[in-house]
Amino acid sequence: MAILVNTSTRIICQGITGRQGSFHCERAIASGTNIVGGVRKGKGGSRHLGVPVFDSVDEAVEVTQANASVIFVPPANAADAIIEAVDAGLDLVVCVTERIPVLDMVRVRHRLNTGSTLLVGPNSPGIAVPGVSTLGIMPQGIFLPGRVGIVSRASTLTYEAVDQTTRNGLGQSTCVGVGADPVVGASVVQCLEKFMRDEQTEGIILIGEVGGTSEERAAEYLSSLTHRKPVVAYIAGQTVPQGRRMGHAGTIIHYGTGTAESKIDALQEAGVTVVSSPIDIGRAMADRLPSRQNTHAQ
Amino acid sequence: MYLFEYQAKELMRQVGISVLPGAVATTESRAVAAAGELGAGPWAVKAQVLAGGRAQGFFNNDRHLPGVVFAETSLEVGSVAQSMLGSVLITPQTTSEGEMVNAVYIEPAIAVPQEVFLAMLVDGDSGQIVCLLSKKGGQHVEQAVGVDPDSLIRCNLGSGEMLTTEASLETAKKLELSSSVTEGLSVVLKKLHRLFIEKDLSLIEINPLGIRQNDALIALDARLTVDDNALFRQSKMAALGSRSVSSSAEQIALREGFNYVPLDGNVGTFSSGAGLAMATVDAVANCGARPANFLDVPPVLEVSRVKQAFLLLFSNQKINCLIVNVFGAGIMRCDTIADGLLLAHLEAPVGIPIVMRLAGTNSELAISRLEKSGLPIQFVENLEAGAEKIVYIEEQNGNTSTHSSWAKTAWLRIRNLI
Repeated sequence: MAILVNTSTRIICQGITGRQGSFHCERAIASGTNIVGGVRKGKGGSRHLGVPVFDSVDEAVEVTQANASVIFVPPANAADAIIEAVDAGLDLVVCVTERIPVLDMVRVRHRLNTGSTLLVGPNSPGIAVPGVSTLGIMPQGIFLPGRVGIVSRASTLTYEAVDQTTRNGLGQSTCVGVGADPVVGASVVQCLEKFMRDEQTEGIILIGEVGGTSEERAAEYLSSLTHRKPVVAYIAGQTVPQGRRMGHAGTIIHYGTGTAESKIDALQEAGVTVVSSPIDIGRAMADRLPSRQNTHAQ
Repeated sequence: MYLFEYQAKELMRQVGISVLPGAVATTESRAVAAAGELGAGPWAVKAQVLAGGRAQGFFNNDRHLPGVVFAETSLEVGSVAQSMLGSVLITPQTTSEGEMVNAVYIEPAIAVPQEVFLAMLVDGDSGQIVCLLSKKGGQHVEQAVGVDPDSLIRCNLGSGEMLTTEASLETAKKLELSSSVTEGLSVVLKKLHRLFIEKDLSLIEINPLGIRQNDALIALDARLTVDDNALFRQSKMAALGSRSVSSSAEQIALREGFNYVPLDGNVGTFSSGAGLAMATVDAVANCGARPANFLDVPPVLEVSRVKQAFLLLFSNQKINCLIVNVFGAGIMRCDTIADGLLLAHLEAPVGIPIVMRLAGTNSELAISRLEKSGLPIQFVENLEAGAEKIVYIEEQNGNTSTHSSWAKTAWLRIRNLI
């Protein structure tokens, strides 16, 4: 098992004919990801990378019974692409696009409230279930099916955590990049909840960074659990003092949160092992898990 | 993108928010003339920097001069302007490096019986536009709200649809002011909310919003931040943009589109992705070596930009070794990094040892190309091994130190940028 994606997930790609969409879908298909079609307005009826291309998400869903989408649409049109996917009733939408205007995401979040779609991202490297699926831009060849769930706010650091847990043999159940933007869909807490319920996941790595309140919320959630799996965290930019600020609003909106200190304190209080150097992430996770002869490969 | 106070006030004036008459001056004589044009004194002379906390700030060459000064005579306006212009202002909201003052803004100095705090911004938690209000307006609002959190009123203003008159009145009422002030505040909120949406802002802050004897409201200070990601559809706002960069290296970085911050050490760092770049600096410093820079080259297809980034590092005489930490993913492939380095080497032959950690997309291809080049590169499998190699090189050079002596200013500058 994994979270968010499994072998029966049927995936379409919005923006499949673009440079990024093509590059990553080709690799995903080659590694066995169940991509059943693509969407590109004006290119409906054609085929690309061996799958049919449709003019709209609705058409793609009708023909392919897709229930998930990965979006590689340029920032100006990305919010509309997400909303189109939500309107079509998809269960899961992963948005890789970065630099989407924040007010567009405010509009998207509003739409998400009234639907059943889970959005991961934007500005997300995507989701990887080793040996099953890659939705997004995570690199191939660094994963190992295994025991650890990874949830991350910092895209490139996600791969660092993957690399370390592959090298020490723990492997990953699922790896999710929730996206580095201020307004995103799925929260860190939502991912933690799913990992806590997932049978394959024995331990969880949380990669956070300064700013926002995701880590503090995660700590609140973890504190509320009586039985839970071990969690290891790394917060990027741990010695960061305040940089240049424009006024007071950003500070007082969530008073006393957002700094590396407040995140680390909250997580440690909740029983999380917080490592101070990124090179210790994999080792700390191994220390918190019972050792085993063989990794849990599927 | 940050706007200066005078730019923010001009936008407010355009949408009918009351502000004082004012004039921008970049020379002493212009400041004196502007004061005369504004009428009889006293005047406020306000340093124009892209940060707050000016009244509590000081100048690098005059520690007793704050960033906002009241002047009784136009001659005094001139002398204050002269002291401020071309000097660096350090405030609680700038970095320790401060901000160069290239312009001052001159307004009539007025006193108001009451000052409130008003802000609008996007809240990541709720995913909505949020309005913050407090009766404890003024420069000490942070402390006041810290001591008395209930003095901060917080209202969700929705998801981008225009505020109704009823909704803005409901919000204004929460501040519990007299009915005539409440009506005025309601109008201000509605106008600001429209401005926020129409101009793709990510922050409006008016602190203080003055309440005059006759209950009229006036924005005595103003900060606006425009969402950088929306500049493609806000060409008028983009044209207002400015960004203070001090060194020529930073100018090159800005032009080439990568994030570069000079630091004080000797170890050059090269990464792609802000998180990994931060972690690279962290790992090098945690092992006891001193990073010379933070460099995040965003994922690119063009090898020329990668080349420019390497050339920037090679031109820094202080750098005596270099760590490259790249995880190829997305459109950033390791072979692009390798080709960029090889092209840079043709222009400026590499004379320092390089420790290279290449992982992810096309890493094997990249390593085989670089191995054939004969460059002084040591390849490592992971960041930990890379940091250890760097420390070994630096020990030979006698350049190791403790992390803490360095980290504070370094991170300050990095966070300022990204």
